[in-house]
Amino acid sequence: MKALPLILAGLFVVASILYFTGHLYPTGVHAKHGVLMLVLAVLSLVWYRFMSNARA
Amino acid sequence: MVLAILQGVSELFPVSSLGHTILIPALLRWSVDRSSESFLAFVVVLHFGTAIALIVFYWREWVEIIGALLRSMLRGKFSGERAEKIGWLLVAGTIPVGLLGVFFQSAVRTLFGSPIVAASFLILNAFVMFLGEWLRSRQRRMHARTSKPIEALTYVDGAKVGLAQGLALLPGISRSGSAIVAGLLVDLDHEAAAKYSFLLATPVIFAASVLEIPKLFAPGAHVVALEALVGGLLAGIMAYASVAFLTRYFKHNDLRPFGWYCLIVGASAVVLFATKVIV
Repeated sequence: MKALPLILAGLFVVASILYFTGHLYPTGVHAKHGVLMLVLAVLSLVWYRFMSNARA
Repeated sequence: MVLAILQGVSELFPVSSLGHTILIPALLRWSVDRSSESFLAFVVVLHFGTAIALIVFYWREWVEIIGALLRSMLRGKFSGERAEKIGWLLVAGTIPVGLLGVFFQSAVRTLFGSPIVAASFLILNAFVMFLGEWLRSRQRRMHARTSKPIEALTYVDGAKVGLAQGLALLPGISRSGSAIVAGLLVDLDHEAAAKYSFLLATPVIFAASVLEIPKLFAPGAHVVALEALVGGLLAGIMAYASVAFLTRYFKHNDLRPFGWYCLIVGASAVVLFATKVIV
């Protein structure tokens, strides 16, 4: 369970890169999708930080 | 300029700005090409003006909320501070509406962008508000539920209000109307539900307008700088006046007058379009 936010953060970063480079959609670059995925990655890392502190 | 005033007022009143920007040009027979680069760029400026008005109106709250959120992130712990709780509630509420907006906005607008559909959804918007008020009074009468402040909401409740805000992707369904109804159903009073709805709308409108800024520089977007500046300023002034009025209005009043307005305007527009009086 502790690894879940880290896994999610990784997935969101990968998705963000794919959106920014236009590899996830045949229609090209989707900057808005990329930004959203990046925000979700940051929030996942914040979630991980809160979880780590709660267990400490 | 009429469009700027319309946008500034209808974005925050629970009457659907998108529905009005589709219906009014059709009813007044304006030849507006809603898909043209110039129109889209102008709308970006209007949204930006509205977002700035909301930030200015609630600037003290935003300073507290952003400060509390940053401190909370650095600490990696909840402190129980009011502004921190509201900040995380806003994050919880913004995620669902952000996901819905980014992934479904274009598809929904392509499917439901016609004036008669917007008018029909405006009628639905009226019933959502009537139903919300009825459910709210039933909850209070039958289950003796009392109002609570925004910071007493759970994160799931905060996300539910955000999800309800996502209904505003449908032209004719109001962002603030659906969020206020959802707020009432999780036991906020009208004043707190309206405030939470406006705070929740701010990052969404701001982010949406900032992310659309490239449209201002798209080839074919011939927005005159002065026109855009005046439009954005007008939309901002009207939005500020609207939020100032609504925060006072919801201290002692409910959503029903807006429900009647949407019902009358929506039904009249459906009749006019269906009978081909207006094509």
